[in-house]
Amino acid sequence: MNTDHVPASGTPVRRKEDTRLLTGRGRYVSDLVLPRMRHVAFVRSPVAHARLAGIDTTEALAVDGVHAVVTGEHPALASVALRAQSALPGYVETDQPPLARGKVRFAGEAVAAVVADDRYLAEDGAEAVVVDYDPLGPTVCAWADPAGITDPVHDEAPDNLLLSRTFRAGDVEAALAAADVVVDRELTTNRHSGNPIECRAGVARYEAADRRLTFWSGTQVPHLVRTQLAELLDLPEGNIRVVAPDVGGGFGVKAVLYPEDVALCLMAIAMPGIPLKWVEDRVEHLLAATHARDHRYVLRAGFAADGALLAVRADVWCNTGAYSVYPWTAGIEPLMAGGLLTGPYKLTDYECTVRGVATNTSPSGPYRGVARPATVFAMEALLDSGARALGMDPIALRRRNLILPADVPYRMPSRLVDDSGAYEACLDRAVEVFDVRRWRAEQIRRRDAGERPIGIGVALYNELTGLGRAASAGPRMPFRTGHDACTVRVNPDGGVTVFSGVTSQGQGLETTMAQVVADALGVAYDAVDVRIGDTDESLWGFGAFSSRQAVIGGGAAHLAGGHVRDKVLALAGALKEVDVADLDLRAGQVHVRGQEKPIISLAEVARVAYLQSDRLPEGFGPGLEGTEFYDPIRGAFAAGAQLAAIEFDPTTGAVRILDWVCVEDAGRIVHPVIVDGQIAGSIAQGIGGAMYEHLVYDEAGNLSTGTLLDYLMPTSGEIPELRLDHVSTPAANPTGVRGVGEGGTLGPAAVVAGALGDALGVELDDLPVTPARVWELAGGRP
Amino acid sequence: MRITLTVNGDRHRLDVEPRRTLADALREDLGLTGTHLGCEHGVCGACTVLLDGEPVRACLLFAVQADGCGVDTVEGLATPDGTLHPLQEAFSVCHGLQCGACTPGMLMTAAHLLAVEPSPDRERIRAEMAGNLCRCTGYVGIVDAVASAAGVMAWRPREDHD
Repeated sequence: MNTDHVPASGTPVRRKEDTRLLTGRGRYVSDLVLPRMRHVAFVRSPVAHARLAGIDTTEALAVDGVHAVVTGEHPALASVALRAQSALPGYVETDQPPLARGKVRFAGEAVAAVVADDRYLAEDGAEAVVVDYDPLGPTVCAWADPAGITDPVHDEAPDNLLLSRTFRAGDVEAALAAADVVVDRELTTNRHSGNPIECRAGVARYEAADRRLTFWSGTQVPHLVRTQLAELLDLPEGNIRVVAPDVGGGFGVKAVLYPEDVALCLMAIAMPGIPLKWVEDRVEHLLAATHARDHRYVLRAGFAADGALLAVRADVWCNTGAYSVYPWTAGIEPLMAGGLLTGPYKLTDYECTVRGVATNTSPSGPYRGVARPATVFAMEALLDSGARALGMDPIALRRRNLILPADVPYRMPSRLVDDSGAYEACLDRAVEVFDVRRWRAEQIRRRDAGERPIGIGVALYNELTGLGRAASAGPRMPFRTGHDACTVRVNPDGGVTVFSGVTSQGQGLETTMAQVVADALGVAYDAVDVRIGDTDESLWGFGAFSSRQAVIGGGAAHLAGGHVRDKVLALAGALKEVDVADLDLRAGQVHVRGQEKPIISLAEVARVAYLQSDRLPEGFGPGLEGTEFYDPIRGAFAAGAQLAAIEFDPTTGAVRILDWVCVEDAGRIVHPVIVDGQIAGSIAQGIGGAMYEHLVYDEAGNLSTGTLLDYLMPTSGEIPELRLDHVSTPAANPTGVRGVGEGGTLGPAAVVAGALGDALGVELDDLPVTPARVWELAGGRP
Repeated sequence: MRITLTVNGDRHRLDVEPRRTLADALREDLGLTGTHLGCEHGVCGACTVLLDGEPVRACLLFAVQADGCGVDTVEGLATPDGTLHPLQEAFSVCHGLQCGACTPGMLMTAAHLLAVEPSPDRERIRAEMAGNLCRCTGYVGIVDAVASAAGVMAWRPREDHD
């Protein structure tokens, strides 16, 4: 038997998730069936803003198979409200009821819930609920003149402003006055959203005898959900179990506790012993799951004649939607926008005022890349304009201003500390792989030959990943998301079970955690089984957001694996009377260093630890497990560069991507294929946002893109072959990784818009880059 | 209404309402939850199954329309001893899946493609798979997987993977 330990990390081991997901044996909430289970359908408001004048449930209750119709005034719900909290000065706290109370604030808001024997009957019941709406004036645009507001979304904020903050460094006016070139841009970005293939889903069951609530939920944040449910439902936290089994994609949309979730749990408590199931359909998802990226940027930048970026002044409006998303608050997008706008560029003089403005639209929440696909678009637009005004090559201008390795740790003007400096390395590699010279030559050839023009787009970005307690302080929420826990347990038979606080919505965390533990402990990857997503099994994890889990959950897994390894070696040393300093654990066997033949197996050590206490040496207790927390305190900045060559047809407006290169610094890589999958998938979502996806409201607040026939997500026909490459600068954390889940989304809007500008010599101020928009900018006439 | 469906070779007699979709009959009445629902309006393709060998959206068909038909779902791809179909194997190796929500539909669409066109090129694969949305992979791994499975299957006798 080969007892050499082959490290699992760095190799593309087979994903532990794959067999069940490929054979139709996944365990999604949508699949869950429980005895006595009933089904819930929500009645949703067809109007954006209205007082609820009355809800008549008589006819609905008469539908065969309907057991209950619940409204916001039901005693079980009437006193409960979600209230996203932040200690930021000037932040206006507002309530979000589980079901609308008094008025509705967006089209799609749930006003009643019908409980029936199956979903067909629940929907029959929902159709029979009669709601009387007394219309109020809707606000749809976040940067409309506040003087035009007739009916504020929330009475607490008469101007609809929920949050405003100014980031300030240096003296931006003096720096602009001293600049040789000043450029102005006014940009808007398109509202779009994550749209995972599995919509939201939940099953809630309450057992009254022991006051225990179990909530199966397709959530990215089960522990946070448990904490929040305990507060909202007035139950001891230990009586609540939240289970997120297989989850069909998340992308941030499922990192929110939704009013529907709370309503489902409250109704379950009111109907003890009856599990209630809600599976959202796509139309509901488009209407009422969180949206994102509906922003406006008014920008001014100053450059020196040599290209040095001297000053950036920005005014930013983010459309918060109807509610301050729980628990992240209305600050989620604006604070990220102001904090990261300047990206990987050195800058001392900066002033940026960000605002979160309530409107009568679906709430904005976390979506992969949070605000930065928009801020990178904004920053790169400034650099493209600057390059044009200075007559400089756009890549050279970027290179002139990058944060370099010698500059790190670099204090950004927003006071975040960048530890990367790998931007130029990413850019260099991207330029080489993409072969800029070849594409420039092709561009000229086409111009001379009168063929369809192509443009080269470029985006550079930094991404704060794995935020520790210091880095996650910005939003001043009542919790700091810096740490996760991991328990590594060696079972009596020597097998290893890991209880990790991470959650997975496709990122393959079972696999990644198994790799990290296998190496830290000294066992084969196949010997490790990972349990995630169940608050009764793992001690603690904040969940999946901010590209944090490989860094933080991986750090905890590494520490816990090392901790248990120490215990195994100590016990093995005592059993075999060998100095523990001479021992090594490899592939589940304990060796004296340098010796081929093992002295004892992990299985035998485990047998002693659990079953043969008579053999336990002096000073050793039974059992073989360890739990560790990890918090990186700050975080790990990831770097990325994307370059693309894109063809634009001025006659039809058609856009065709000819080549797309992305180089990222993911630090040390645990699973190379999973990492590339994260990057490719995030670029595809970025391309979707840049070119296709747009949630459009009309002036009355009706969503006019309410199906997948109107809301266009890219297919294999639109996403090009992607060429991915890496630079690797290990981060200062236990595994050396940098987060990689979001970076790819940050580039595409800037790349496509930049390529359009490069191809046609125009400046694009709004997204998405549709054929109609290209045709217009190319001089087409209706 | 009483109907008969032959799903992955097993005959089932069901009593369904006329409005019950084929997808719900498979998922809820037969417990075959491998067929996923992503949009319930025929766009995303997650619920794709083969009806008498042809790919259909199970969300757009009523179960009664499938009366007397043979239905192939993702649960029928692997052999009873658990050996994965070459497509399933290739999806794993090429990372053609992440969350797994679109995967059953992708596999069934690809199975049909390779049944009628054993050696499609990448462009053809992209065109044919464009009726199925994936939100995780950026399609890179999916196209790789279908191309790779086509290569593997070309070397095997048909009955091995039918």
